[in-house]
Amino acid sequence: MSAAQQRLTQVSGHLGSSKSSGRAKILEKNPDDIVVTACLRTAFTKGGKGGFKDTAAADLLIGAFKSLIERSKIDPKLVEDIAVGSVLPPGGGATEFRAAALAAGFPVETAVRSLNRQCSSGLQACVDVANQIRAGMIEIGVGAGVESMSLQYGPGAVTEFSDLLEAHPAAANCKVPMGVLSEQMAKDRKVARKDQDAFAASSYQKALKAQEAGLFDEEIAPLTVKWEDPKTGDEKTITVSKDDGVRPGITAESLSKIKPAFAKDGSIHAGNASQISDGAAAVLLMKRSTAEKLGQQILGKYVAASIAGVDPLLMGIGPWASIPKVFEKTGISKDDVDIFEINEAFASQCLWCANELGLDQKKINPKGGAIAFGHPLGCTGARQVSTLLYELRRRGEKVGVTSMCIGTGMGMAAVWVAE
Amino acid sequence: MLQFQTTGFNGYAVKYSPYIDSRIAVGAAQNFGLVGNGRVYVLELTSQGILCPKFYDTQDAVYDIAWSEANENQLLAACGDGTVKLFDVNVAHQPIAQWSEHSREVYSVFWNQVTKDNFVTSSWDGTLKLYNPERAQSLLTLPTHSCTYSTEFSPHSPSIISAVTSDSHIRIFDIRIPASAANHLVHLIPIHGPAPTLANINTRANPLGPRPPPSECLTHDWNKYRGTILATAGVDQIIRTFDLRAPRAGAVTLMSGHRYAVRRISWSPHNSDLLLSGSYDMSVKLWSDGNAMSDASMVTPNLGRELGEMGAHTEFVTGVDWCLFGSQGWVASTAWDQRLLVWDARTIIT
Repeated sequence: MSAAQQRLTQVSGHLGSSKSSGRAKILEKNPDDIVVTACLRTAFTKGGKGGFKDTAAADLLIGAFKSLIERSKIDPKLVEDIAVGSVLPPGGGATEFRAAALAAGFPVETAVRSLNRQCSSGLQACVDVANQIRAGMIEIGVGAGVESMSLQYGPGAVTEFSDLLEAHPAAANCKVPMGVLSEQMAKDRKVARKDQDAFAASSYQKALKAQEAGLFDEEIAPLTVKWEDPKTGDEKTITVSKDDGVRPGITAESLSKIKPAFAKDGSIHAGNASQISDGAAAVLLMKRSTAEKLGQQILGKYVAASIAGVDPLLMGIGPWASIPKVFEKTGISKDDVDIFEINEAFASQCLWCANELGLDQKKINPKGGAIAFGHPLGCTGARQVSTLLYELRRRGEKVGVTSMCIGTGMGMAAVWVAE
Repeated sequence: MLQFQTTGFNGYAVKYSPYIDSRIAVGAAQNFGLVGNGRVYVLELTSQGILCPKFYDTQDAVYDIAWSEANENQLLAACGDGTVKLFDVNVAHQPIAQWSEHSREVYSVFWNQVTKDNFVTSSWDGTLKLYNPERAQSLLTLPTHSCTYSTEFSPHSPSIISAVTSDSHIRIFDIRIPASAANHLVHLIPIHGPAPTLANINTRANPLGPRPPPSECLTHDWNKYRGTILATAGVDQIIRTFDLRAPRAGAVTLMSGHRYAVRRISWSPHNSDLLLSGSYDMSVKLWSDGNAMSDASMVTPNLGRELGEMGAHTEFVTGVDWCLFGSQGWVASTAWDQRLLVWDARTIIT
């Protein structure tokens, strides 16, 4: 480069406003980028009555794995490790997830582990696998998440607290039920019922519109399962390819009539909280150089992730704490982000985080969120990757963030770039 | 407002003489400093306007200038070819001394205002160099390992040197401390703020929202009254002040308003809170960092106040300086629009 050109580059570097310099950096394509070459999920169905109410978590996972292998045409032998996020299964699901990988067609050489970071388990699984690849431990891996809330949701998910835990105030707060503490947070942070209902209604409306326009078709892999008709007791074989929590006709007005669930004078109810659901999701990750060598289609890349701890009683503010942290790491700001997928555990917390961070409402969950189609706990983080990347690609946009609050007071966020 | 055309040359720096109230120098370069010659103008403010009794041409662009603090007729030019040239107004055409030690563009030069017997330069080659004008070679090289846009001596100490770099850090060197692997470095302050920790991420009260990412720092200046305060500014458009008594505490004051990178800042020699800034957004702004106000809140960072804007330039503003003499408030600014403007900052206060 000539001296004049170098000087020009230097000065033009000053002009790229700082707001976009971080963005330009993360849009670069390098051989050691961690890229997504396939991502998908099953449909999400209502806990206890939806299409997957009789399907074990492991079976959902088999479905997701099989579809992932089929879609990506990856040779299963090349996948060295699989991480599965899941919250409710006893023993973390370690045994049945390994078995599920084998049943789905992965060879015995493909290792599997389960992990549990509550509602961010699916994201943590993807991030862990990306980090393993980045560190050189593996070449190709799968990050996944699964939850059968129909079969495994219940009081058994938390063991009894010891006296030591009960005696420590912050520690004892870790087991306060989500609904109760979200109610408290909505009160403390003054998130009005009216605003929560409006946010929830818009989630339903966006999801319905997206579903009608077929915007979930790319991310959802249909799954054929056995299902017992509760009226007749007959067992049928059905193919589930649509989120069944999405329903028409929901408005802020109609939601305003629902009684609060956790306190008489409360503001949180079934209509403005996430649905209890079943589902699985999987993401295939590898280095860009590997993807190019194998001829894999690159859908997007993983950039960075952050984890933040917050007061257990204010767990809903997790995204507010973790999103700025991931911005720090990547050098981008909220203006650089085209879509935020922030899990709607409760309308109250999602709305509060978005407002507090000053996010553009139009950028948040453009296809709706967990309020409309469900939040199978350990699956959500992996689900968001598919929802985000396909929507970014459809719109021709680039930068997305996925984030969620985490029970016991944490938040996680990750930056992704669609290609 | 007085003006002088630096026809054919785009301004890069302007400095009032510290000795003679009517003398002012401009450093400039052809073709926006990308390629071509440089020129140093020595100008006189007269009742007939601004006259140019002397100018010096250089082989490569002139990016910065500094008047000698020891001799009223001498001034330095920092050049694109890595040289630093010392000119004497009584000697025509040629420099009286020259140092060719930097391997890339020299972007800043500053004369020691306390001992007056040495000066420092900074370069895109990632070093600072300390010189004595009497000596043919530099006295000391201080590495910054990063393109260094601006360096200064503290106006309060003969041995404290500061520098800001494209890696978004302030470096403070003290040349009194013994030579060691640290190369006299005593502080390395991240301008964009301390790294996030669990403690500060949840409690951070940042009035400008989420903290901006690291970005190139292009200019800085020591406060003339408060010996531990210096201000920085650069690509992220925000002017910050730091207190060296608490180097880890992050910025004390944030001044936000420029719409492109800030290229040059200068504290007032008369008021401890006034700061002038020139930016690629073509404006010159006058700020108060609020320290003179009695109700300064204890929460940091404070927000400084924009007192006014001068919008007469029609290209990137690259140089601003305060006149030390006369009625307080006269300033000069130069820009890529090939003009030097001399004006009264009090007239822009709104």
